[in-house]
Amino acid sequence: MLIKSAGITDVGLKREGNEDAYSADDELRFYVVADGMGGHLAGEVASRIAVDLITKTFRQWSLAGASSEDLFGQTDPSLSMYGNYLLSGIRLANRVIHELASSDERYQGMGTTVAALAIFPSLVIAANVGDSRIYLVRDGGLERLSKDHTIVSEQIEMGIVSVEEAESSPLRHILTKNLGSSEEVYPDIFELIPANNDRYILCTDGLTDLVSDDEILDMTAMANSPDHLCRDFVDLVLKRGGHDNTTVISIFLTGIQKKKEGPIRKTGIMVADLWFAIRKGLRKIKP
Amino acid sequence: MAKFVLMFNKQVIKEYPFQKESITIGRKPENDITIDNLAVSGYHARVDKTGSEYILTDLQSTNGTFVNDKKIVSHKLSHGDNIIIGKHTLLFLAPEINEKASASQDATLDLNKTMMLDTARQRELLSKQQVLAPTPKKPKKIGVLSFLDGSKLGEVELRKKLTRIGKASTSEVRLSGLFMGATAATISRRPSGYTITFTGGMTKLKVNGEVVKGSLPLKDFDTIELGSYKFQFYQKEVE
Repeated sequence: MLIKSAGITDVGLKREGNEDAYSADDELRFYVVADGMGGHLAGEVASRIAVDLITKTFRQWSLAGASSEDLFGQTDPSLSMYGNYLLSGIRLANRVIHELASSDERYQGMGTTVAALAIFPSLVIAANVGDSRIYLVRDGGLERLSKDHTIVSEQIEMGIVSVEEAESSPLRHILTKNLGSSEEVYPDIFELIPANNDRYILCTDGLTDLVSDDEILDMTAMANSPDHLCRDFVDLVLKRGGHDNTTVISIFLTGIQKKKEGPIRKTGIMVADLWFAIRKGLRKIKP
Repeated sequence: MAKFVLMFNKQVIKEYPFQKESITIGRKPENDITIDNLAVSGYHARVDKTGSEYILTDLQSTNGTFVNDKKIVSHKLSHGDNIIIGKHTLLFLAPEINEKASASQDATLDLNKTMMLDTARQRELLSKQQVLAPTPKKPKKIGVLSFLDGSKLGEVELRKKLTRIGKASTSEVRLSGLFMGATAATISRRPSGYTITFTGGMTKLKVNGEVVKGSLPLKDFDTIELGSYKFQFYQKEVE
């Protein structure tokens, strides 16, 4: 399996500081973006803590093969062990940010979104809290591997507003979940099997506010390198006003080969098909 | 400070200064603005202060919320807006104009800025909303594979985020067969629903008779075939 990735963060045209943070670690195959919120420097602190702590704990627990007793909080039986490492790291980051925010006046109201992706040869884990997103581009289609935790997306799920109405809703930036605002956090986590030529995008709302899913699909599918893709995304955001910080990580996956089908294998498949066809036929004949 | 003036038949009933981050409007006495009239839902609407903007949201009320005669779901309030709830009118008066002018720049910025809603308050409101909602929130569903033949497995609930189907001992759904892949297929639970992916081996994966080489979103009652195994996918409600 070969991975090429690139990450970029841009302050934009309207903001003075950059409250986004990211980490792209090709060795660990672990990627995180975070969009901080809270006055003064608090937002920057929150997103940095989230990115660093989640990456660090994932590395430590993976290397050590940590058991469920080592983790923070109860393990989730619906997830793989690595999925639980990621879940646990997000919980821990949430607790740290929450305690800092409630004990230090300067950090009051501090919080952050997070979107994280871990890639293994036979497993991909995607987790998110807030409105930072993870996309998968595969076979010419785009799929979201994250769930937006905003009032608007809850309204869409309840069927109160349409997707079109949601795009211009004044509530579209109001989060229902983040890291920092409460003691417990419940991220959405998804697991899937990677495929050759998969492309993954992690991004903050600076991108998705100004660039549509269709545009993200087209640009990602056409791109020839992760670096160019990241640059093109930021250029487009700036051209459209760049009112927010924008952070993008692009990951291109290659070299996941399904075994080559040699002549012996092909014959095998033919025999197998024939075998099943005969068995099916026989079953029909039998009373 | 912004305020609301409650009126009925062009008569002023009461003034409500906006002193909190959010207020609710409805028939029940727990609301900040109580309107005792059967045309008004228990919890009819809410107003949230975000930055220097005031956002009015209808809480799926039976008779709807109108601003200047237009039905709204959510609406950014401006000075002088007439909010009609049942037979009553609420007049919205923004803070002093000069105060507003200096804040207006921040306001546009604020709306583009990501903010966290106070969770305790929001949970409270959402739970109220659920009680009121004519269609209750969708119950939680879980995918099930129901074997039609070729196996005595019966039904398998897809409780994990990723279910591997194949010959390998690590598979959640273990199937035998000479040509069955170690992991022949996987079903993963994604934001959009359950997706089946062909993973490997010489046994073909078919969904509703069509060979699947990549991924396919699963719909209720799709028939899945892996060699001589045949099963049906559907989703059932769980507690």
